[in-house]
Amino acid sequence: MSLAADSPVHSSSSDDFAALLDAELDIISDASADIQEVAEEEENIDVEEGDYDLKFDRAKRRKVEPYENVADLPSSSSQGSSPNKDECQHPGVYAGMCMKCGIKMDDESGVAFGYIHKNLRLANDEISRLREKDLKKLLHHKKLYLVLDLDHTLLNSTRLVDLTVEEGHLIDQRGALPDTLKRDLFRLGSMQMMTKLRPFVHTFLKSASSMFEMYIYTMGERPYALEMAKLLDPGDVYFNSRIIAQGDCTQRHQKGLDIVLGQESAVLILDDTEAVWKKHKDNLILMERYHFFASSSKHFGFNCKSLSELRSDESESDGALATVLRVLLRIHSLFFDPGRDDNLLDRDVRQALRTVREEVLMGCKVVFSRVFPTNFQAEQHHLWKIAMQLGATCSMELDSSVTHVISLDAGTDKSRWAVQEKKFLVHPRWIEASNYLWKRQPEENFPVASTVALLDYSLK
Amino acid sequence: MFFHIVLERNMQLHPRHFGRDLRDKIVSKLMKDVEGTCSGRHGFIVAITGIESVGKGLIRDGTGFVTFPVKYQCVVFRPFKGEVVEAVVTMVNKMGFFAEAGPVQIFVSNHLIPDDMEFQSGDMPNYTTSDGSVKIQKDSEVRLKIIGTRVDATEIFCIGTIKDDFLGVISDPGATS
Ligand SMILES: [Zn+2]
Repeated sequence: MSLAADSPVHSSSSDDFAALLDAELDIISDASADIQEVAEEEENIDVEEGDYDLKFDRAKRRKVEPYENVADLPSSSSQGSSPNKDECQHPGVYAGMCMKCGIKMDDESGVAFGYIHKNLRLANDEISRLREKDLKKLLHHKKLYLVLDLDHTLLNSTRLVDLTVEEGHLIDQRGALPDTLKRDLFRLGSMQMMTKLRPFVHTFLKSASSMFEMYIYTMGERPYALEMAKLLDPGDVYFNSRIIAQGDCTQRHQKGLDIVLGQESAVLILDDTEAVWKKHKDNLILMERYHFFASSSKHFGFNCKSLSELRSDESESDGALATVLRVLLRIHSLFFDPGRDDNLLDRDVRQALRTVREEVLMGCKVVFSRVFPTNFQAEQHHLWKIAMQLGATCSMELDSSVTHVISLDAGTDKSRWAVQEKKFLVHPRWIEASNYLWKRQPEENFPVASTVALLDYSLK
Repeated sequence: MFFHIVLERNMQLHPRHFGRDLRDKIVSKLMKDVEGTCSGRHGFIVAITGIESVGKGLIRDGTGFVTFPVKYQCVVFRPFKGEVVEAVVTMVNKMGFFAEAGPVQIFVSNHLIPDDMEFQSGDMPNYTTSDGSVKIQKDSEVRLKIIGTRVDATEIFCIGTIKDDFLGVISDPGATS
């Protein structure tokens, strides 16, 4: 405290103020039916101001005690409603006070909702209550929750210093850039960054907002997240305060739905990184990464020219966001299918997602040939798992019911069998492409070379 | 509530300020130091209105700095439990709404919003009565009662309620007529 505690002048002026406060509090207590509340307030002043001089303290004690006695008398409890009667469960804490009854609380229990307010924590019961209440309302409006990642999902950013020579035209010849690029390319001087929104993102957000309540959820820092939200949602109509950044996560390097006020059974997630959603894989739709800038593709180990260097971009009508929007529409209509006779509240969007995914390779029976390393447990391989998720049947044995042989080499026995039996012989990329595009891809686009020369295909 | 009170502060000054305009230097430093700050006891110091006295300076050993006890008049703002204030809504969400009254940040949780007001999400989140006659959204002016206060070094936080007679919206920015 900067005020000189030993100054005689100080204590007298403080007493003046204290007298004033007492006078004011008396007025309040006269007006208030609840005398005890006033006594509490005085105690609170006591607690937070350890440096009160003794005189003031004693004066206040004198005041507090009679109040407490009065409050204990049966006659006073008959006036008005006492907060003790229906005891507060303390559903949450704002700046160290219960958000329902206002008493001081300094415990760190519950979950911090820093993205709403830096000083807000909610008790677990309260979170459940809010989720339940909100879900009913949302389902009534035929909506679900959608959590959106920023980088590589909705946009791509680079530091200005990382721009290559071939990307120089983005800055030097801005006026000559095509209109769509100009509209979606932003130079953020204050952050020394450049951001490119993914093609179709405006249409995507507009359409998705009619089916979902949307959150932004990024591992980026808060100022960056807010800046990106401004680019994506300049009218502030899609996200409001539902913007979650790195500092808000309750677990390091993990994104959790614990700070999303939505029931897990109604949440879908779009993200390009699977590893951060360990607890919520069933809610996740994995996105193909959007790399516009050279620094971004290089960071992920690609040595080819970036879209920016090639002066090209992802397709607007057939890119990842257009594809995933179709999937979301499908899941949404499956979830709200009026033909279903189960209760809306009992439905699970994760089941709907699973069903839609299983439609992709429905009816295919695949056999892998020389795709997995020797002695690798086939069922554990990611391609096997993806094929299963896409609704295909995976088999180790060849028989007439097999429809596809997935191979890296046309010379293997199984590959030759496929050609002989007029089955499809396809490269493993056929599965990955079908997975990202949510559609069985034309087999002829994924031929298998006859030698083992395809070493560039790196097994993940 | 606003108060006009006298406070005292020990001002430490660097010797380079010693000269004819020493008093002005002390006053301007005082304003810079205390206006806009909070103390748990007095609340938010809104403005200095006058200088009562500048006491004798005391030279600090070794540094050459001099400490002057300054008595000054100022307007302070401190909210009280039970006080009714008017505030402007800054954010509305499922948990309730946040409002500001000058330097004070107030949270009104949905527990303290009348039961007949329902949260409506959408591009302009709000709490609305079932008949639609009363709506609280961003920039609405509301009258609320304070039920808890906390004063930090630079900020004052309050818990407020509008679940009582004569509390709630004063003006509705969304109203067209
Ligand atoms: Zn409480």
